[in-house]
This record gives sequence, structure tokens and C-alpha cells, in this order.
Amino acid sequence: MLKKGDLILIAIIVVAIAIGLVVVNVLRDANASQPKIAEVLQDSKVLKTFDLKTVSAAQEFKVVGKYTNTVRVENGRIRFVDANCPDKVCVKTGWLTQNGDIAVCLPNHATIKIVGKADKIDIVSY
Amino acid sequence: MCFALSACTNPPIAFDKQNFAMGTIISQHIFGDKAKLAADEVMQKIKYLEDNLTINKPGGEINKLNANAGNGKWIKLDKEIIYVLGKAKDFGAKSNGAFDVTVGPLVKAWGIFTDKFRIPPASELTALKKLLNLNNLELDVPNSAARLTQKGQIVDLGGIAKGYSGDVAKEIYQKNGITSAYISLGGNIVAVGGKPDGSNWSVGIQNPRAENGKYLGIVSVKNKSIVTSGDYERFKIVNGIRYHHILDTKTGAPARSGLISTSIISDLSIDGDALSTATFVLGLDKAMALIESLPGVEAIFVTDTKQVYTTSGLKGIFTFDDATKEFTYVEKR
Repeated sequence: MLKKGDLILIAIIVVAIAIGLVVVNVLRDANASQPKIAEVLQDSKVLKTFDLKTVSAAQEFKVVGKYTNTVRVENGRIRFVDANCPDKVCVKTGWLTQNGDIAVCLPNHATIKIVGKADKIDIVSY
Repeated sequence: MCFALSACTNPPIAFDKQNFAMGTIISQHIFGDKAKLAADEVMQKIKYLEDNLTINKPGGEINKLNANAGNGKWIKLDKEIIYVLGKAKDFGAKSNGAFDVTVGPLVKAWGIFTDKFRIPPASELTALKKLLNLNNLELDVPNSAARLTQKGQIVDLGGIAKGYSGDVAKEIYQKNGITSAYISLGGNIVAVGGKPDGSNWSVGIQNPRAENGKYLGIVSVKNKSIVTSGDYERFKIVNGIRYHHILDTKTGAPARSGLISTSIISDLSIDGDALSTATFVLGLDKAMALIESLPGVEAIFVTDTKQVYTTSGLKGIFTFDDATKEFTYVEKR
């Protein structure tokens, strides 16, 4: 037989769980609705900015300087797909998907990056 | 969202700036009121140093020294250039010639850092090796002068210039009252203080066989320089052989010591820059002995058998974290 105190305890637990679920969902939504900003730069100048979360149709464009890089943007990711520079390190870097990811074409002074910081590190030594 | 126990102040926002200089990308991440001012001053100074330390374009102090090689004349040079040359000689001696800034003729022959890479014939390398001798770089420190005693000799500071520039950047930050910042000069990291909340900077160590930005461990530091040298930074593969940019003056060819990456953690970045190259050329055993003999300097070595070694002082500072699971951390030797 449940006593009055038990009922109060159960009520408190139920309310606490409900609050917990709400908090978890709010936090998750806050994270999911954070934009994922990609920038395309040449030297120090920002040429283009995208919120990768809102990109619906894939698009490609060129960064023209001493050489030419082709950048491809899709939902959630960005990369160099082609370049006429000698070593093509930029293309080999592949897709950028996470905050803090960066690909650089040194010969053409071109950079693509996803703004923000990686989960566990501030910067990479290479 | 605000909770009762968490402070609701916004975290400070860093000023970020990136530029291309010294043949690489320079990224600055600075906190504080004078961040932009300091960042601009750093870039100005780096461009000055590039102009005076490079042999890849005409003009500047080092070209003056090289142009007069073998004619006996002492060349007056800027005090800080003499300091860099002194450091180069110092680490040349400490590493038993593994780090040798008279490598210039070899660098030119291989076409390193140009789009004209070539594999010089053995006869050419044998002839060029006669020009490589750090003892022929003479310094007159009181008179701020230097000379090269053999005609055809070329000092190339590519293995130390970025390191020195990192130290100079740190001085500029501190002069401007900045207590939290880092600069990356093509992957040479110099951290000033810690993060604004007082915690350490987490610096990833590049996985030498994965895409740029993928790391195989993390160094947690304040106020340190982290410099990495690897065979993956600039290389060409010809007939299955990897030709990279770190030349061994004893063989005249890219160093094949069994190490594919070396990272040096030190107070001065100029030391770290010279030592990362020196240890790469020396190979694991000699590299380990050299670094353990230098107080305040620590290192991470990665071998071609995909093993990761660290010096004794990195306990609790280095965390092995290899997402690819291809490398093994050898904690004890």
C-alpha cells in the first residue's frame, strides 16, 4: 500500500525525469541548429562563406590566382576537387566535415576551412 | 541556456588572422584588446625576416653573405641575423652536423621548394658535398659580421627561419600585453600563455600518414613551442621512392634514418626548429640521446614501422590518440 510520502516521492521523480528530458532535448537542438560555417579565402581575404547545414544543391566554383583551384560545396561538407598547381596537396586533403578542418593550396594562396575548433585540439603541429 | 551554477558571461572571442609568407601559411589566434595591432605587427616583422633570411628571392642579408662566399671579406649583417647564424652553428655542433645550414647547394640541386624538383646524379652530389661544411661559416659576433670561406657555398636558413620568427612573434605578443595566443608558422606552433580560462592549449601532432589535420596524439602545454618535421610535408614519389625536403648532408640525399616525423617541444622555437630537423636526420637512437641531454627540451619520434616514441619528460603532457589505429605507442624503451 502506497503511503502519501511515497506518492510525493514518485511525483518528484517523475517531474525530475521530465525536466531532465526537456533539458537534454533543448541542448541537443541547440547543437543541431548551430550553423557550420565554411570559409573560402585567398591570402587573408574571405571570398565566400557558406553555412554547410543549409547548402541544398551541390555547387562548384573556382579560386583564380597564380593557379586555379576548383572548390566543391555539398550539404555538410566542402573540398578542393581540382587544381592545376604542381603538388595538389589541397585536393589530397579531401573533404572537410568537422569544425577546425582546413585545406590549403600554398602555391595559389587559397584556403578552405570550417570555422571553429576541433573537439579535442586547438591546433595541429605539422 | 543558463544554469544556476554556471556563469552566464560570454567566453572571450579570439582574433584570427591568416597570411601567406615564408612559403607557407601563417595563422594567428590571439585574445586581448590589442590582438589586431599585435597580429599586424607580427606579419610586418615576419615579412622583414623573410626578405632577409630567404635565398629564394633576390636581396636581403643572407644573399649578401652567400654572394661573397670565398672572397675573404667579412660581411656586416643585422644583429638578429648573426644571432640566427650563431644558433645554427650551435645546433650544428650539438647534432654532429645533422643540422647544417650550409646545405644550400644541395637544396638548389634537388630543386626543393620549387616546381623544378629533380634527382641529381650521384657524381653531382659527390661534388656538391665538398661545399657543405659548417666550419666554413665564420662569425665575428662583436662586429656583427659573418663570412663563408669557400666559393660556391650557400647558407640556407629554411630549417630555422620559421622557428626564429615564432620567437619574435611571441615577443611582440608579450610587448602588447597579450597573455593568451598561439601562432602557427606552417605547422610550427608557438603558444603564448594558456587559453583565456587558464587551461592548457591542446596541440595535435600530425599523423604523418593521414590527411592534413589528422593527429596521432595531443600535447597539452602553456608557453611552449612545438615544431614538427616530417617526410610528408613536401615530397615527390618517383618509382616508389619518397623524396622529401629534409636533406642529409652526409649522403647528399633526403634523410633515410628510419624516422618519418619528429616533434620538438621547447621554450624557444628556434631551438625546436633546428632540433626537429637534426633529430629527423639522426634517427631514433641518436635523436633520443641528443634530446635527453638537453634540459627543457622534449620530443616525439615516429618511425617508419609506425611506432611512436617520446622522451621521458613528456609523461602526462603527451596523450597518444591515433584514430586510425595504425600506430603503436612505445612508452618505455
